[in-house]
Amino acid sequence: MRKLGPWLAAPALVTLAVLAAVPIAGALWQSLFHETSREPARFVGLGNYVQLARDPEVRNSVLFTLQFVGTSVVLELVLGLAAALVLHAKFRGRGLVRAAVLVPWAIPTVVAAWIWRYVFDDYSGLMTYASDVSWFSDPFWARTIVIVADVWKTMPFTALLILAGLQTISDDVIDAARIDGAGPGRRFVHVTLPLLRPALLVALLFRTMDAFRVFDAVFVMTRGKSGTSVLQFLGYKALFDQGNYGKGAAISAVVFLLIATMTVFYVRSVPSRLMEADR
Amino acid sequence: MTRVAAVVLVACSVAPFAWFASASFKGPREIAQRRPTLVPLEPTLDGYRGAVDKGLAGWMLNSLIVATATTLVTLPLAAGAAYALSRTRMRGRRILLGLVLAASMFPQVTLAHTLYGMLQSVGLVNTRAGPVFPYVSLTLPLAIWILASFFREIPAELEEAARIDGAGPVRTLVRVFLPVAAPGVFTAAILTFIYAWNEFFFALVLLTGNDVRTLPPGIATMPGQYTFPWGEIAAACVLATAPLLAAVLLLQRRIVSGLTAGAVKQ
Amino acid sequence: MLRIALVGLLLTLPQEPAPVELHFLMWKPHQREAWTRALRDFENLHPRIRVRVEEGPHSSSELHAMLVTKLRARDPELDLFLIDVVWPAEFAAAGYLDPIDDLFSEEERKRFFPGPIEADTVDGRLVAAPFNVDAGLLYFRKDLVKAAPETWNQLAEQAAAITARHPDLFGYTGQFDRYEGLVCNLMELIRSNGGRMAPSLDERAEEAVAWARDRLIGPVAPRAVLNQRETESREIFLQGHAVFHRNWPETWKIANDPARSKVAGRVGLAPLPRFEGGRSVSTLGGWQLAIASHSPRRAEARALVRYLAGFDVQKRLTLETSHGPSLSAVMDDPDVLARFPHFAEMKRVFFAAEPRPRSPDYAELSDRLQQTLYAKLTGAEDGVAVLPALAPMAVLGLLVFYLSRGRRA
Repeated sequence: MRKLGPWLAAPALVTLAVLAAVPIAGALWQSLFHETSREPARFVGLGNYVQLARDPEVRNSVLFTLQFVGTSVVLELVLGLAAALVLHAKFRGRGLVRAAVLVPWAIPTVVAAWIWRYVFDDYSGLMTYASDVSWFSDPFWARTIVIVADVWKTMPFTALLILAGLQTISDDVIDAARIDGAGPGRRFVHVTLPLLRPALLVALLFRTMDAFRVFDAVFVMTRGKSGTSVLQFLGYKALFDQGNYGKGAAISAVVFLLIATMTVFYVRSVPSRLMEADR
Repeated sequence: MTRVAAVVLVACSVAPFAWFASASFKGPREIAQRRPTLVPLEPTLDGYRGAVDKGLAGWMLNSLIVATATTLVTLPLAAGAAYALSRTRMRGRRILLGLVLAASMFPQVTLAHTLYGMLQSVGLVNTRAGPVFPYVSLTLPLAIWILASFFREIPAELEEAARIDGAGPVRTLVRVFLPVAAPGVFTAAILTFIYAWNEFFFALVLLTGNDVRTLPPGIATMPGQYTFPWGEIAAACVLATAPLLAAVLLLQRRIVSGLTAGAVKQ
Repeated sequence: MLRIALVGLLLTLPQEPAPVELHFLMWKPHQREAWTRALRDFENLHPRIRVRVEEGPHSSSELHAMLVTKLRARDPELDLFLIDVVWPAEFAAAGYLDPIDDLFSEEERKRFFPGPIEADTVDGRLVAAPFNVDAGLLYFRKDLVKAAPETWNQLAEQAAAITARHPDLFGYTGQFDRYEGLVCNLMELIRSNGGRMAPSLDERAEEAVAWARDRLIGPVAPRAVLNQRETESREIFLQGHAVFHRNWPETWKIANDPARSKVAGRVGLAPLPRFEGGRSVSTLGGWQLAIASHSPRRAEARALVRYLAGFDVQKRLTLETSHGPSLSAVMDDPDVLARFPHFAEMKRVFFAAEPRPRSPDYAELSDRLQQTLYAKLTGAEDGVAVLPALAPMAVLGLLVFYLSRGRRA
């Protein structure tokens, strides 16, 4: 069985090589050419990237994507932690609460996007009672709603990951702290939180990578208007709406490099000791 | 205090969806009046009829086909890799695991253009088989991770016993491992299925014909040149979510335990 | 012996050639029966040809995506299709279209409205045939408005006077969401001031946009129009809540349909206003018939193009579906005028309708225009200040840093 190791893993690895690694390489290569559906490919080296750097639309997209990632992930973590604490507590009807909390997670992102777009619709939305503001034509509100929709949809996943961590903390440790005289606040900060570190970091890692790839919500809710253009959407627009393959490839390369950088940052800053915890 | 928090949690999680679901039973006039009524004053099934008219049944069928196909391809591939990574002393396991995890982070848009070209050259664009390819590569990492953590728990003695009994490698995998790791297999299967069902980017790009479209792009592009049918959109969303919701609510315990068992170990 | 000879004779008789199946991709028609009849008649005229219609998506951008997918893949099941009036330059540059100069002589081309012919002529070659015409029109409540305004300022004044007497009404609704319709609506304002939209807005264009931002949206039209497209803006008018409304020709029929409109019978139609010193401009819309360059059935497809762009079919479809014909003579036809007296007015508008800026990169051009125009109208720049953008990431980074150092409890 030992010797079979590589053979058993091979099909999966070959699949990933062909369907993931090759296309990424393809995108990086394509980004060095100017090519559209109307013009044949022409080598331009880093020309596409230079153009992107000068393009205010791209700059705004990068900035909002970063803003989105930071805000969403931090909110999801904080709210997810709170939710996990609730789900961890023992009370009657816990199963029902857990099931209810999973509802946003089970919904396709496009549906979640429709839900929130409906709530804030200028014409038929619930929020028309709150204010006359044209929510989606104001960049501040449009961006906020996109973030709210994302946090609503993905918070359950974060909560689950943290719940897993909570479940591994044995009651003995908590009891020991209580016997030592530590109040609930101190118990949480000095006992629970440190033990939760691995779970929190895993949640952060996964959610950050995912948040960089936001697309569905922006497509359905705003089509990128009012400053809600994110990088994946910009890339999609260039490649498939406008048939500008070189520019689209360059944008997609930028997204990839951003995510890769984040991954390296995470891996570097987290001591392997902690990553060991999940083996 | 926990009670209050729990109620708030449930309300926030469910209320928006419930509100939208109630819109699926309202006619255009009632929607335009935007009264905050959860129960429609003039309930109607027009939304559902309209959604079906736009092709909802076809979309559901396509989603079912694509998601099932993806799961059937991903699981065996993932099982093999998970076994290799968790139970063998294969060299380079750590690196491999790292690479596999990295693959789960690739942005869809970066894969899209080349993948589209690859699929076009074999005539698979605008067919139900097309999306399965990117879906498999996007779900493999998570499936491998979940299966690997379940496989790790299986005591070596079981494997030894099977070997002594003369079982070959594949038999061991199927007869000994899978039954014991069944919860993990189940979790991996359901997560893969849900991912493929909900996936939007590749479905949008690879499936432009209404007859092959899956639910997400179908629903996302429901507003047309001359219509914005909220009732129909809401109805389509309800129908698109219903199977998933039912599965999740019924299997909530399994899913939670599957995810939590695989996530962090002491 | 005789039997063999008979069989031999039968075998040498000319066989019926197999029918050619033409694949026609079009949007979902409102009146399918009229279309089915027209196509059946074509098949009767050309017994060798069968027409298979594929109904494409009901949205222009979706249809574009689908067409590009099929044309890039050289789909064998695509021979003839409809394209929007802004696509010929792009599709021709990409090599998707089979030129049809030989199909219509100079004389015959003059029978079409000039706008679509201009849009369908790329680099001197005719690459598509005009099928129908759309143009922006001003609808108004003829029970409230005595005479249609000639200038935009007059419109604003009339609207103010009327809404003073009827405070529950909005003065004007149009399409100002960030999409193609925004370009259409603003082009009408800009060009009627003598301004230019591409490659960039000139002074007169900026003037017109500023007028729309300051004097139209807010004072006369509700700010909600910034999120509205054809349906929502029209709905307000149909419910009787607006005095003036800008939309395409098909709104006439809907507005006068008592089942769908509360103002049926009280609707007037006029060319769009202009600014002082300018002239009334309508944005040209409409669909064109195009033949796929890779199709092996181009000859048969040409027959169908001539048929569908011919007087008889155009007249029939106009009468049965109130389609805006691409042949001007149809709008002079007595039967048509009897049925649609407002066509006399509309014909003038169709003649004057102007196409949008032409470019093989129209999608990008339009996107940038939409971006610029929308930002000007909403007064909100899409720009993200660097600090608020990076602050959350900094917090995230700190969180990761804090969580990863420190000992276990």
